Amino acid sequence: MSTAITVPEDLWEGDNEGVITAWLVDDGGQVNQGDLVAEVMVDKAQYEIKAPAAGRLTIAKQEDEVVERGTTIASLDD
Amino acid sequence: MTATTTASSSRKLTIARAMAEATAQEMRQDPSVFVMGEDVGPMGGVFGNTRGLHEEFGGERVRDTPISETAFIGAAVGAASDGMRPIVELMFVDFFGVCMDAIYNMMAKNTYFSGGTVNVPMVLMTSTGGGYSDGGQHSQCLYGTFAHLPGMKVVVPSNAYDAKGLMTAAIRDDNPVVFMYHKSLQGMGWLGTEKGATVATPEESYTVEIGKAAVVKEGRDLTLVSLGVGVHHCLRAAKALGEEGFDAEVVDLRSLVPLDRETVRASVAKTGRLIVVDEDYHSYGVSGEIIASVAEHDLACLKAAPRRVAYPDIPIPFTPTMEQWALPNADKIVDAFHQMMSQ
Amino acid sequence: MQPNNDQRLWMYRQMVTSRHLEERIETLYMEGKTPAFNMAKGPIPGEMHLSNGQEPCAVGVCAHLSAEDVVVATHRPHHIAVAKGVDLNAMIAEIFGKATGFSGGRGGHMHIFDPTVNFSCSGIVGETLGPAAGAALSRKMQGKPGVAVAFLGEGAANQGAFHEALNLAAVWKLPVVFVIEDNAWGISVAKQAATAVPRNDVRASGYNMPGVHVADNDVEGVFAAAGEAIARARDGQGPTLIEIETSRLAGHFMGDGEDYRPEGEKEGLQQRDPIPRYRQALIEAGLLDEAADTRLVGEAHERVEAAIRFAQESDFLPPEAALETVFV
Repeated sequence: MSTAITVPEDLWEGDNEGVITAWLVDDGGQVNQGDLVAEVMVDKAQYEIKAPAAGRLTIAKQEDEVVERGTTIASLDD
Repeated sequence: MTATTTASSSRKLTIARAMAEATAQEMRQDPSVFVMGEDVGPMGGVFGNTRGLHEEFGGERVRDTPISETAFIGAAVGAASDGMRPIVELMFVDFFGVCMDAIYNMMAKNTYFSGGTVNVPMVLMTSTGGGYSDGGQHSQCLYGTFAHLPGMKVVVPSNAYDAKGLMTAAIRDDNPVVFMYHKSLQGMGWLGTEKGATVATPEESYTVEIGKAAVVKEGRDLTLVSLGVGVHHCLRAAKALGEEGFDAEVVDLRSLVPLDRETVRASVAKTGRLIVVDEDYHSYGVSGEIIASVAEHDLACLKAAPRRVAYPDIPIPFTPTMEQWALPNADKIVDAFHQMMSQ
Repeated sequence: MQPNNDQRLWMYRQMVTSRHLEERIETLYMEGKTPAFNMAKGPIPGEMHLSNGQEPCAVGVCAHLSAEDVVVATHRPHHIAVAKGVDLNAMIAEIFGKATGFSGGRGGHMHIFDPTVNFSCSGIVGETLGPAAGAALSRKMQGKPGVAVAFLGEGAANQGAFHEALNLAAVWKLPVVFVIEDNAWGISVAKQAATAVPRNDVRASGYNMPGVHVADNDVEGVFAAAGEAIARARDGQGPTLIEIETSRLAGHFMGDGEDYRPEGEKEGLQQRDPIPRYRQALIEAGLLDEAADTRLVGEAHERVEAAIRFAQESDFLPPEAALETVFV
């Protein structure tokens, strides 16, 4: 089963774009549900992205790429 | 240890998170540890290094202070002498001018004045460095200024692993420790983060010994010595030199006080060539101290005159064209090596 | 708040002890320093700030303190150290720079640390308030008993540290008392030439804390003001600022020509010397007669003399001991 990691719709207010500043797990790494996997910056604020499920991480949006709320940035596979 | 997050050994942290995690782990097991400073509370620190602490430990142990560095750093000295282990933040090291007395006349000297009967176990954490056009009062490193003054240990991590271990060691140390973190290594995107600082960091608590340098890349032809962000410039320069067929060794000082002269000397004894890279001002600073430490020990081991790539002796200019021109970088290190070899 | 008879005699005894210590230091300090005044010479080299005349500030405050309470004193610390109960032998040995001093001579007369009675001092004007506030914060956070007292001169009230620390202590409601010894002179600059307000206790209102003034170097006036302030602090009601009108009967430091003083000022102050005044008050109150006074003064003097002998007979540490205790 594959689960998408998306930027939560309520992560920040407004329609601003964000930038992925750090992946805290390498591509292909194994994560548990709730693990902190990435940081997204909007203006000067840093937001955390946590894994919605356990699985092997496949990164779709690299560090420094621009994302919006709802953007799929990675997937998790059993 | 708690296992609420990933058990994967590949888990990476930014330096900001590593500092906060070390602090939280110490606060959980030692009630005398507390944090105070400007915006360290709900905001989590301007540079992110106290994020999550207020939420977990509350406002009594994670205290936002008035903008009164003399008072709260002086208060940390008083609290540290009375059984507490305060961690205080001087938001920018450039602000030391308004509170240096509390730091170098009290924090650093009370142990000596008491003949060792009064401990001052506190951590002064402070941000350093420029490169993002914050002007000459918010971009300095001042490593040499602090390391010059006796009575306080000084550490400067270049990556999250060392940051966590040094922070834990600093909190547990019975002496005052100045923890200088470079803004561009913090993992705060708006400060132009150096990716190499975000590295795999164990979740369990551990220490990195204060006073021990690390050889982060071994080599035979040249020793590059640096600290903080300069280590990353050196690693890039070493890669470039490798493509030219030269094998550079890179030494990360990690601590300035105590200074691990042995590791530097051993490396230069092997390579015979030394370039010191420092974002602090050129004169009277770390770069001169490192070169002197080698030269006064064994001049004969040097195959060429040592060189330094440091910040010129000017106030830090605002405009990016000037600031970037003045900052150390990998190209300057490669050029310095070429000049060394052409003489 | 009135002192009881034991407290009265205790305060008098501490004042007499402190004064005798200062008078003996004055003599010893000058040994080897004449005819040309050479600060580096003699058994007690360096700067020397004597506290003659300021004893009421020390005893009136410390009468309410025990060893567990914290005191941070100034560059002029001897009277406060005596009243706080520091080890007299180790203190005088430190003043002489001897091995048996608190730090073996690394600190000297402006850097006296006796952690067994929670006494310390700083030679920098204004730098007693922050550490006292921090010690008070420590007690509050640990739930440990004890209050902290910072002493300072009236000149220190114009330092940023004064204003920062008062604000911090009030914002955090810390168990601390700030005691200004107003001797009217910042070295050679008169208080009215340096300070925008005639009395610093009014500055307390800017920091939402009580400000109390004690006039005329009055021992029992200090006792009363300090008693209330320390009780407030112990009761969790926060900090207090006290300014005591005191007198500096000596120069700022030994060797001070004091040419800046208006003619007759010093003679006037000496006529109001607080120790003979308090002796007279105790005699009038029936607590003391000539014989009892002679006995009390004699005992106090012998205590000081014994400590001086101890210091004189002590050795110096080897010079290379200077390298020790930078870190613990």
